[in-house]
Amino acid sequence: MSVLKRVQQWATFARVWHIYDATWQNPFASAELIKKYLMGLYKPIYHPMNDCGDHVIVINSAEIALPGDEWTKRVYFHHTGYPGGATWTLAWELHTKDPKMILYKAVYRGMKGNLQRRHTMQRLHIFPDANVPAHLLGNVSNQIKQLRPIPKRLDHMDPEVVKNSPKIFDYPKDYIVR
Amino acid sequence: MVFTSAVSFVRSKGPDEFWKKRRIFKLSAHFIGRSRNCYSLAIRAVHRALVYATKGRKLRKLDMSDLWVTRITAASAQHGIDYGTFRNGLIQSNILLDRKALSDLAVWEPYSFKALTDVAKRKVLDDGLSSTLKNESNLDEIINRGTLNNCKSS
Repeated sequence: MSVLKRVQQWATFARVWHIYDATWQNPFASAELIKKYLMGLYKPIYHPMNDCGDHVIVINSAEIALPGDEWTKRVYFHHTGYPGGATWTLAWELHTKDPKMILYKAVYRGMKGNLQRRHTMQRLHIFPDANVPAHLLGNVSNQIKQLRPIPKRLDHMDPEVVKNSPKIFDYPKDYIVR
Repeated sequence: MVFTSAVSFVRSKGPDEFWKKRRIFKLSAHFIGRSRNCYSLAIRAVHRALVYATKGRKLRKLDMSDLWVTRITAASAQHGIDYGTFRNGLIQSNILLDRKALSDLAVWEPYSFKALTDVAKRKVLDDGLSSTLKNESNLDEIINRGTLNNCKSS
């Protein structure tokens, strides 16, 4: 094997590290996207039995946005195995207990249940905020594009720009801004 | 049960009980547990295995075609075109390659595959479906029959 071919071999089978910002993203739609990178489904050399999956670092998982009224309607079921051990946890309750759990479960359930699934999940690193350890962040070589662009909030904009932008209307005197 | 010569295997077609069982045991030689050596269990296991083998011949073909689609989808997504649009663009351009050939090209000949995606994208552009494409760079270098007709008419 020539030097070039050897390097090509390394480059083909090396694990790539991707980073994904979950701010204001739908976790269930994001899970479909993250799954492709975790399992290596985006590579032309994909085969269910060749180990070509990549690592994905998900940051800001505390900032996910569930669609519609799913924060109060989506229920996570758990059973301890003992009689009367069933619990039903609402999505917002689960998210306050562990801000990583909804995304983790979304990715886990997005994949087919086989023996490989738990090993594939080991390559997913979720962080509730943007504080990623340096030894993980140093590996990252690709950023996964977000599904939706994050709109800029008025209270996060520069007050100078807001003041100078043309005003379309005035609120009525008795209008209460919530 | 090792057959060192074909002679004993030919004889095993006879009515003799021993040879009849021997034919079954030869098929169950790699099974686990007592279904390898106990005839009444072995015959059931062999029958089941042969049914699986019959079904598996069809499933293997389906699995392979699923794998080819997965690979072509991955490779064409890298060039900003989805699977259906890509295949349709190739067929419209009279490039009649099947899924196996395309997936082989995607793995072993990535530059040839990129050329194919460019041809398909050019065709899609000529048909006025540019919204299905992600990036359209360098497509002006490609000329197909549709492009020539467009040039003549304009």
